[in-house]
Amino acid sequence: MPRWLALLDGPQTLGSGRAFWFVFALIVLVAALLPTFVNAFAVTNLTYFLVWVFMALGLSLIWGYAGILSFGQTAFFGLAGYTYGVISINLGDAGLWTWFALLMSLVLPAVLAVVIGYFMFYGGVRDVFVGIVTLSITLVFETFMAQTAGPEWTIGSARLNGFNGMSNMPPLTFPWGENPIIFDGPSFFWLVLGLVVLVYAGLRILVNSRFGNVLVAIRENPERAEMLGYNVRLYQLFVFVIGSVLAGMSGVLYTLWGYYITPSSMGLTAAALPIVWVAAGGRKDITATLLATVLLTWLSQQLAVKGSQYALIWMGVILLVVVLFAPEGLFVTVWKKLADRRRLRQVTTARKTVSLPSA
Amino acid sequence: MAAILQTRGLKKYFGGLRAINGVDLAIDEGELRCLIGPNGAGKSTLFKLILGSYRPSEGAILFKGEDITKLQPHLRVQRGMSIKFQVPGIFLELPVEQNLRIALQRVHRGAALDEALERLLELINLGHQRNELAASLSHGQQQWLEIAMAVALQPAALLLDEPTAGMSHEETYKTGELVKKLNASGMTIVVIEHDMAFVRQIAKRVTVLHFGEVFDDGSLDDIVRNEDVVRIYLGKV
Amino acid sequence: MHRPVVHRLFDARMTFLVEAYAFFYQLADSFAFLVLCGLGLAIIFGMMGVINLAHGELIMCGAYVTVLSARAGLPLPFAMLCGTLAAGLVGLVLEFLIIRRLYHRLFDSIVATWALSLIATQGMLIVAGPSIEGLKTPFGSFELGEYSFSVYRALLPLIALLLLAALYWLFVRTRFGIYSRATIQDANMARALGANTRRIYSQTFTLGAALAGLTGALYAPTITAVPTMGQAFIVQSFVTVVVSGADVMLGLAPSAAVLAFIQSLLTKSYGQLIGQIGLLLTVIIVVRVLPKGISGWVLQRNGGR
Repeated sequence: MPRWLALLDGPQTLGSGRAFWFVFALIVLVAALLPTFVNAFAVTNLTYFLVWVFMALGLSLIWGYAGILSFGQTAFFGLAGYTYGVISINLGDAGLWTWFALLMSLVLPAVLAVVIGYFMFYGGVRDVFVGIVTLSITLVFETFMAQTAGPEWTIGSARLNGFNGMSNMPPLTFPWGENPIIFDGPSFFWLVLGLVVLVYAGLRILVNSRFGNVLVAIRENPERAEMLGYNVRLYQLFVFVIGSVLAGMSGVLYTLWGYYITPSSMGLTAAALPIVWVAAGGRKDITATLLATVLLTWLSQQLAVKGSQYALIWMGVILLVVVLFAPEGLFVTVWKKLADRRRLRQVTTARKTVSLPSA
Repeated sequence: MAAILQTRGLKKYFGGLRAINGVDLAIDEGELRCLIGPNGAGKSTLFKLILGSYRPSEGAILFKGEDITKLQPHLRVQRGMSIKFQVPGIFLELPVEQNLRIALQRVHRGAALDEALERLLELINLGHQRNELAASLSHGQQQWLEIAMAVALQPAALLLDEPTAGMSHEETYKTGELVKKLNASGMTIVVIEHDMAFVRQIAKRVTVLHFGEVFDDGSLDDIVRNEDVVRIYLGKV
Repeated sequence: MHRPVVHRLFDARMTFLVEAYAFFYQLADSFAFLVLCGLGLAIIFGMMGVINLAHGELIMCGAYVTVLSARAGLPLPFAMLCGTLAAGLVGLVLEFLIIRRLYHRLFDSIVATWALSLIATQGMLIVAGPSIEGLKTPFGSFELGEYSFSVYRALLPLIALLLLAALYWLFVRTRFGIYSRATIQDANMARALGANTRRIYSQTFTLGAALAGLTGALYAPTITAVPTMGQAFIVQSFVTVVVSGADVMLGLAPSAAVLAFIQSLLTKSYGQLIGQIGLLLTVIIVVRVLPKGISGWVLQRNGGR
């Protein structure tokens, strides 16, 4: 097995071995087959849950693995969404232009992240102040976009539209002779699912690699990491950029899902939601984050559907309970408890075996 | 022998406090030097200046002949320095093995890394505790872990700040033997210490710091015979 | 009709004075708002290092209780007192149940208080509906030129300053204040000197919560109380506190003054949203350039390192 593939399992991720990956493959297979036996609405719904995964994974990487609490992931989310809107509305959906729009909507957040990251990490901004600066940035974006209601706020032929947001952007289109492939419905679902699998696997390899080891070192003791010769600030900048691209991916996919993007996606509540998912599941593990994101987005939708206004209250309660009683996150805590019990059983069995008298 | 580490006219002020007040130090390559002095003499501050945690108010620091006064700490480490802090600077919430890996991966890859890991674990006698969190180790074991991490970088110059603090007599002796062994293999080592028995065990040359200045310098026997040194330790100066 | 030169000059000067006062009024209004928003949070964040994201909801609590008490018949000052006490009580309970477990867990305190904020906002929405009937602003208004100013809101800056003075007295001249500051600076030392640090933390947090309630109470007659009002306050509060730095007495007023000036200037020229952006950009720059805020910078110049 190539060495990089072996990194799918490692010290920084929970879950490993044949059983784990078998279950994973099974879940992916079932998910991939879903459009064949489930109605279109359910497929669109599931796509919606998956769309948020990227942002959550990005935050887990930045916060859980590198120790940087960024409240500003929604800034990249929104920037990506609006970028896709502006470019695709202006350039249309012929040829590969929508893919170009997609690419640019990932590039721009990365560029912004380099600027912000440089400003913060090379400027000595640390700990809670990173949160404050990033939150301020996302609110600046929200406020700025909210006042773009007038007709003069137009880029090319795309109106920014203030509070109401931008809509009617074209879906991703791939030229295929007479009938171009339009990524909508099931095809969009498969695209997102494929991206989730790719990003998940890629992140697992990344965090278990030497790079991941350094991230964790920086999280635990940045001074010691520096004294081992690591360029701490560069690592922080780099991981911040990766996180921003992932947040951007969520942003552009969200825009493609609903064909709209609004300033409220960069507001206070929106900024805090990824924090809820990541904290509830367990920020230091991407599998836990993935599960928590899908579960919580599904849960809050269920509550909303049932006419309950209690959706957000339940989210708050879950979060509070988790922070107080399982601060490492619900899934991480449960997993570790199960792992401890398994180890205990192994030790006990080993002891029993050893203490059998020899004939 | 050429001087591998030098300071020239090094000064560091914190507001009105002169923590380092003009230190000229020259450590030769392959030397084993002890730095002693009463509390507050500036020993740890000197180490921090050499590593780059602090910027000097005046003066210069040279390493392997290169002026590193303005160089970032991680670059100094990459040039061949390594430090063990006074307060254990390890990754408490990570397993022992992971602590060492993070240090070792600077120098090794693949199978070579695994071998070096085993050797280090054996050296500090923590092989059977490799999966335990560093926080669960005893203080002495944590010191050893950190020394091992510092050594893993295969530095040209190793700085140890009070390596035996909190250790038992036996542990202290073992540490001394380890330091001598490392030095014998060519590593330049500078040690800050309070434990005089330890200093006696390892030292060839001793520098005394007092109020941020070099107070005396020589072999341990010479130092001990200097009445003024005895007095600054007993607090009469 | 041809008006004499003297009259025209007089009009011009009057107009200028009126404009100037209008700007000053706006400035003082923002100043008061920022000081009052920031006070409770400054005590809790600046002094205790706890990030209380539920601060806005404590303000909301004060506002709601004030409005409900006043509607139930209590005279306004007593209703405001009720609002303040209610928020203080909530703070006391919260500290006891939740906050005290989180003193050394920064990330967790952020998440937990945000969860509380979520629960409080949604809960209030369910219990009290999207808005409740408000109160009339007392004292009416006065007119200058073509502007009309609210007497009540013109008084708020004075109240803000009075509060600052009262807190100064509290923290510098009373036993509680001195113990409180000692505990926050060095808890172990304070304990060694006989301070009941557990109680001090509880009391300080309660004080911060009560101040938040007071802010809500004071603004209750001027705005419509809605469950999401906390969100409007929280950002302003944090901005003021961050720019102020840890020393509340030294930094809060200057911080509020500077921010009020920036916000008023930008709002006047470009509108409210740009004013808001200006505030946010200021805090970003301050964090980078003066990481310890105004008070930290002042202290550093006057004899720190």
